[in-house]
Amino acid sequence: MNRCRVNILAVLILFAALLSVTTAHGGTAPGAVLRFGYLDVPGSRLCRTAATHGHFSEEGLQVKLVRFESSAAGLAALAAGAVDVGAFGVADTLRAIAGGKGFRIIAGGGTPEAGNLSQQKHGGISLPTEQHDGVVVLIAADWPFSEKGTLIQLTAALIRAYHTEYQQVATPLPETRITFDPNPDYWRLERIWHSLGLQHATMKRDFLARHVYEEIYCDALDRLLLGETDAVLQELFSKAICTPNCCPASAAKP
Amino acid sequence: MKKIVLLTLLLLSLGAGAMAAQLPKLRVGYVPEPAHGLYFVAKEKGYFKEEGVDVELFQFASAAEGVAAVNAGKLDVGTFGTTAPLLFISKGSDFTFIGGMMIGGQAIITRPERLAELSGKDLKVYKGKKIGLVKLSTGDVVFKGALKKAGIDYKKDVTFTEFGSAAAVVEAVKKGAVDAGLVWPPHFSLAEKNSGLKVAHYVSEFYPNYTCCRIFAHTDKVKADPETYKKFLTALIRAYRFYKTNEEETVQIYTKSLKIDEDIVRNETYVKKVAESNPDPLRKGILDFWQHIRDAGYIPQDYPIDSHINTELYKSALDSVIKKNPKDKIYKDMQTFFKKNN
Repeated sequence: MNRCRVNILAVLILFAALLSVTTAHGGTAPGAVLRFGYLDVPGSRLCRTAATHGHFSEEGLQVKLVRFESSAAGLAALAAGAVDVGAFGVADTLRAIAGGKGFRIIAGGGTPEAGNLSQQKHGGISLPTEQHDGVVVLIAADWPFSEKGTLIQLTAALIRAYHTEYQQVATPLPETRITFDPNPDYWRLERIWHSLGLQHATMKRDFLARHVYEEIYCDALDRLLLGETDAVLQELFSKAICTPNCCPASAAKP
Repeated sequence: MKKIVLLTLLLLSLGAGAMAAQLPKLRVGYVPEPAHGLYFVAKEKGYFKEEGVDVELFQFASAAEGVAAVNAGKLDVGTFGTTAPLLFISKGSDFTFIGGMMIGGQAIITRPERLAELSGKDLKVYKGKKIGLVKLSTGDVVFKGALKKAGIDYKKDVTFTEFGSAAAVVEAVKKGAVDAGLVWPPHFSLAEKNSGLKVAHYVSEFYPNYTCCRIFAHTDKVKADPETYKKFLTALIRAYRFYKTNEEETVQIYTKSLKIDEDIVRNETYVKKVAESNPDPLRKGILDFWQHIRDAGYIPQDYPIDSHINTELYKSALDSVIKKNPKDKIYKDMQTFFKKNN
């Protein structure tokens, strides 16, 4: 094999490697399908609504839903790169983050309202009103920063799904009352984090904050708010704690 | 002989280059507001280099992205409002406020036909009114603080409508969807110029010397190299003196650097004086600001913000400047102001 052939082969191998890296999380390559893992529980209804009502398509995304029987199985698949996004249990997700998984929470989901099964599930310990068995939407640690646009589209689709759910409030809800909220809500997560005793002495104080990507939710909401005035979106916006954008619209990074 | 001269010049230029390269470097992020021009004065007049620090400036369009860049260690200094660094600190980011960039600047705009109704020096004119604002913007926080100081229960007596941007607030005022709107520079000047709206009040009429954009850095970096941060502040103190004594040249520097209309810069900076480019850390102002955020119910739990404010660096920088210029009135005034506000 001469030197020229070796170089061509090396370039092809490098190209193939780059291709596999850029498509690992979907969305990068045109037409790539984003694999969205979910639990078959009422709390993950927003991602199913986004799929059935075409909200992912409205955002220009192709999404394939992948059902999991447990959060543990879903989180393992997310860590292994078998799915790109997941809607899994908040307590299991936070425990995985505390255990060193670099997941980042980008949106909320459905949370059972106070006074239902969750108090029994946790050995009779009285938990705060925010329940530990709600659902959050998360991505793997190595999601490339350049893919922020895809995350905003994804979160915008979930906000659209919330909007759809809100308008169909007359539809009978599943077996238990669920509060849906696409907001990742750092402060709620922090309360659950502490009530589960996950903040260890060796962790930096912002350990959890580095795993909650609230900016994505704020950006998605900002973008949807640019349309017609909408009371549902306005209410979500009023509840969100977003860093105000402080600058003239023409401002741009160098 | 020619060869010797050329060689000497070459060696000298190499030496100067090496010296510049040896200066400690600070990557500084900012947002393009008219009162953020001190950085450009210090850069243009050579104060950073003279004080021994090589400053590289990075403009950001989003405060959230700017603060995230400081948090990730990609910037050594950030100037992204007051709310954004406070939110990050409350969530665990280890930032330290070391100085300031802007005091004041927030205005309440309305349609011309509503101006008479909102005139006067009493905040009670806003009771029963619907005010548009950007949630957690400086205007939102300090206006609510001013209402509270005036004994007005703003949660009961005033209706606030939140918008995603200052442009959306201006639009809502224009359409009459709200009675008035809270915006910051240069938005109120642009609203006056382009939309015929009027400034009813500047918030500073009710709440003097409130804090706007603060200068902060990652605490680890400040602790690792306090001397460089002191040099940086020393240059800004000198830039403040220039800004106070060279109006026309400052307007030119601000206009050129921030790409904002020259008339707006001149008007806001020296005619109406709606904001001041002041490097004082304004410790008391930061603590007040945090309390107003808490009072408004935006952050559910308190945090000892005071442990994230370092006034010693600024004091030390100001002391060293005064030592070199003991009779300078501007520096003495800065010292008096510092004592009162820190």
